[in-house]
Amino acid sequence: MLLAPAPFVPALFAPALAVHDLNLLIDGAAVVDGVDFAVASGEVMALVGESGCGKSLTAHAIMRLLPDAVRQGRGRIELDGENLSALSERQMRRVRGRRISMIFQEPQAALDPLSTVGAQVAEATGLPRSQAREAVLRMLAEVGISDPARRIDQYPFELSGGMCQRVMIASALIARPAVLIADEPTTALDVTIQAQILDLLRRLAVERGTAIVLITHDMGVVADIADRVAVMYAGRIAETGDTAAIFAAPRHPYTALLLAALPRLTDVPRSRLAVIEGRVPAPAEFPPGCRFAGRCPLADDHCRAEVPPLRDVGSGHLSACWHSEAVR
Amino acid sequence: MSGPGHDALVVADLAVHYPARNGPPVRAVDGVSFALARNETLGLVGESGCGKSTVARAIVGLQPPTRGSVKVDGAEIVGASRAALRAARARMQMVFQDPVTSLNPRMTVGEAVGEPLLVRGIARGAALRERVAGLLTEAGLRPEDAGRYPHQFSGGQRQRIVIARALALRPALLVCDEPVSALDVSVRAQILNLLVDLQRAHGMACLFVSHDLAVVRHVCDRVAVMYLGRLAELAPRDALYAEPRHPYTRALLAAVPEPDPVVQRAKPRVPLVGEIPSPAHMPSGCRFHTRCPMTQAICRTVEPEWRQVGSSLVACHFAG
Amino acid sequence: MRPRISAGIWIILALIVLFAVAALLAPWVSPHDPLRQSLLLRLRPPGSATASAGVFPLGTDDLGRDLLSRILYGARASFAVAILSVSVSLVVGTLLGLVAGWFRGWTATLIMRFVDAMLSVPAILLAVLTVAVLGPSFVTLILVLGFTRWPRYTRVAYASTLQVAALPFIAAAEMSGAGSGRILLRHVLPNIAGPLLVVATSEFGLMILFEAGLSFLGLGIQPPAPSWGSIMSAGRQYVERAWWLTVFPGLGLFTLVVCVNVLGDWLRDRLDPRSAGR
Ligand SMILES: Nc1ncnc2c1ncn2[C@@H]1O[C@H](COP(=O)(O)OP(=O)(O)OP(=O)(O)O)[C@@H](O)[C@H]1O
Ligand SMILES: Nc1ncnc2c1ncn2[C@@H]1O[C@H](COP(=O)(O)OP(=O)(O)O)[C@@H](O)[C@H]1O
Ligand code: SF4
Ligand code: SF4
Ligand SMILES: [Mg+2]
Ligand SMILES: [Mg+2]
Repeated sequence: MLLAPAPFVPALFAPALAVHDLNLLIDGAAVVDGVDFAVASGEVMALVGESGCGKSLTAHAIMRLLPDAVRQGRGRIELDGENLSALSERQMRRVRGRRISMIFQEPQAALDPLSTVGAQVAEATGLPRSQAREAVLRMLAEVGISDPARRIDQYPFELSGGMCQRVMIASALIARPAVLIADEPTTALDVTIQAQILDLLRRLAVERGTAIVLITHDMGVVADIADRVAVMYAGRIAETGDTAAIFAAPRHPYTALLLAALPRLTDVPRSRLAVIEGRVPAPAEFPPGCRFAGRCPLADDHCRAEVPPLRDVGSGHLSACWHSEAVR
Repeated sequence: MSGPGHDALVVADLAVHYPARNGPPVRAVDGVSFALARNETLGLVGESGCGKSTVARAIVGLQPPTRGSVKVDGAEIVGASRAALRAARARMQMVFQDPVTSLNPRMTVGEAVGEPLLVRGIARGAALRERVAGLLTEAGLRPEDAGRYPHQFSGGQRQRIVIARALALRPALLVCDEPVSALDVSVRAQILNLLVDLQRAHGMACLFVSHDLAVVRHVCDRVAVMYLGRLAELAPRDALYAEPRHPYTRALLAAVPEPDPVVQRAKPRVPLVGEIPSPAHMPSGCRFHTRCPMTQAICRTVEPEWRQVGSSLVACHFAG
Repeated sequence: MRPRISAGIWIILALIVLFAVAALLAPWVSPHDPLRQSLLLRLRPPGSATASAGVFPLGTDDLGRDLLSRILYGARASFAVAILSVSVSLVVGTLLGLVAGWFRGWTATLIMRFVDAMLSVPAILLAVLTVAVLGPSFVTLILVLGFTRWPRYTRVAYASTLQVAALPFIAAAEMSGAGSGRILLRHVLPNIAGPLLVVATSEFGLMILFEAGLSFLGLGIQPPAPSWGSIMSAGRQYVERAWWLTVFPGLGLFTLVVCVNVLGDWLRDRLDPRSAGR
């Protein structure tokens, strides 16, 4: 259900968040290179890739919270058409948590252990205490916390991981931001709890019209809730488009192999899984051409020499591969 | 002592209770029984904290149990003397979850892989180097890698080193505790293929602990589902996945996100309400009753018996 | 990527090496015999020169002995005492810490209670009392310092052993069939060496101070053999007439101890994985 491919037309629907040609450098190596994507209101866009491919750095760059070692090169980030890179740090502080929020992988670590659930969720509202409490109670109920009147005065250590993640989501959403960035929000949780949190995120996108950037390494999570997906490899977007289209017919060898490498509940037990030989190159040893060339069965000299651009392979489905038509 | 006629592993009424500083003990494992034939792979699945790793550690003698019995190749592990335990460990080995901390950073790969052979006086010098080279090759590494240090390898390669070390003594039983959970998706498949091949080649019994139902289905013959220190269901693979009998197994299967949007979004949702109770405060009766969608009055007071339903063993009053 | 070694650390290292080399080569670089007295040359100020005996760059002491030579030979004593006493306490303390951390239970309780008791008595007091009872000598000094200073190593070794022993590679070694001895020496010790090294450097500076202190009290290196403490002790009565007798050895002591402590802090930062930038 819900799979009617809504072709993404940026010109018609102004995106809530747009990232243009983002470049992030560490010691001169482009660990994020030319990343482009946009999310519309009410849409869930997944950023998927293996550990170290640059997903979290992209998220932190959007929030303008990059670690010291990382420098932003080219790139432009627009929130509702406004260029975030042009804002002062003071203006940016007002944007964070109000118009764009972020939640993290380890909910227990991201919450302040010394202040109550209520105080943390209220922080983003900027309302006086008495009014804030009402709003917080409503928000806690909305993210599915049972007995919010009791939970509001508890401390994070009194809550389970799943409940902490709900509190994180509540505090991220209480100011009704247009965009939510969720960095591996369910990786630390069990599958049954993960299913609850994913249902919650999907509901928020639909009911509140929040644009969600969901960062994950789990193709199952992508299949479950993403409207569109961008597959990242070694700092670049390999392929992007509608979730249905990409899973049905990946047009980049990396995506195709990744999907074939997954054990599924429907495959033949003990059958050989497809493997991607070798490993992701370290930033210092990124090759000059296609960064997947060292592991790609289709690689040729052209691939090794020249960076493949993201090209349209049909209705908003883009692939950065010289041989995308050869990928079945 | 060992010989045909024994199961490779027999676990009977195993319990591990961790004493707590204040409050009741944590009943991490609370009466688990199963057997594992030679050449068989048994999957042990469940959510985090349900006691899977504790079972694994108790089986290899790294965690003394509170009660119960563990027989590996006929030899009792529980209460065994140091010498008996050391002898038994030649027949069983373990692969750990985190390949980074599974290897001593100050020891070369060759020293690590060769250690079991060296300390048991099986090989030394040139013979040892040759055995190590063979083991590394078998695990998909190069013999030259013996001279390098673990930090020079990626996570997947380190897990290969750990597997090579575990196979050095040609164990009858291999216990794998989440062997691919810490690995990236593209590397996971390499390690799973390797484990399947090696298990076949050596005819080992394998206990495969994981929280990933798709992975377990891929490598196991039978599957045990664990919840809060007990087995909820134990069934042959195909029976378990095609016809899960226990409400918890059903919920778990429904919650696994399938990497296929068409299948995944068409799936009926079996939402589990609530959180996993703490093993220090076990619910009365059926320990799943606080989250079970089928709970009846009897579930709150009477602990369900272990029953045969079809080809499955199930601990639920209403399974059928 | 290796962390860069800053210029400051190079200077510190160079100074320490300079002290060590000077101490080692004292017999060859000293301008005079440190023990040769001359009543005619008493309390000469720095830079004094005589036709018969040559130059005294740092002056002479109350018995007419060359101060520079005495300081160089004194550095030998300081280094020897520090190195030997640190070695004794490092070995004793580490062994006890390893055993406590590995076997835990009552063994650990026993050892760590003893450590607490030792640490609750001021070490210098313990040293003074023991030397006073046993009588001062070079060997006594080393044994006393060595056997009063091991508890700090034991604490660090114990805590680190507990940490390392919980890692899966230790379980893997047990699974391999390795015995306690092999596990402790081949698996645990190499992985706790870092923090112990840090303690050893800070103790090294402290041992130099202790030696000076004991010698100052007349309980360390016995005259006429020179040591920084005994030179200062003797010079104390002449502070007003011959400042150089206390200032130069004091300066040497101060510089060396500061250098060694800075090196220790730097090592601690470098060996701490949290500050390694990964
Ligand atoms: N050394 C210990 N002391 C006290 N409690 C413990 C100890 N080790 C484990 N536990 C508790 O025992 C229970 C089972 O732990 P175990 O590590 O076996 O779970 P698991 O199923 O492997 O979970 P995970 O998937 O998170 O590793 C948990 O509640 C855990 O907190
Ligand atoms: N603070 C940092 N200092 C240096 N390198 C970093 C830092 N944070 C991330 N990196 C490097 O940047 C790359 C991308 O990291 P990240 O965005 O965290 O990946 P992901 O979230 O996809 O796991 C990796 O090579 C990682 O090692
Ligand atoms: S551009 Fe070449 S190397 Fe890169 S993915 Fe396509 S075929 Fe492979
Ligand atoms: S016994 Fe009752 S509570 Fe337990 S699983 Fe069966 S139906 Fe659910
Ligand atoms: Mg990340
Ligand atoms: Mg575990």
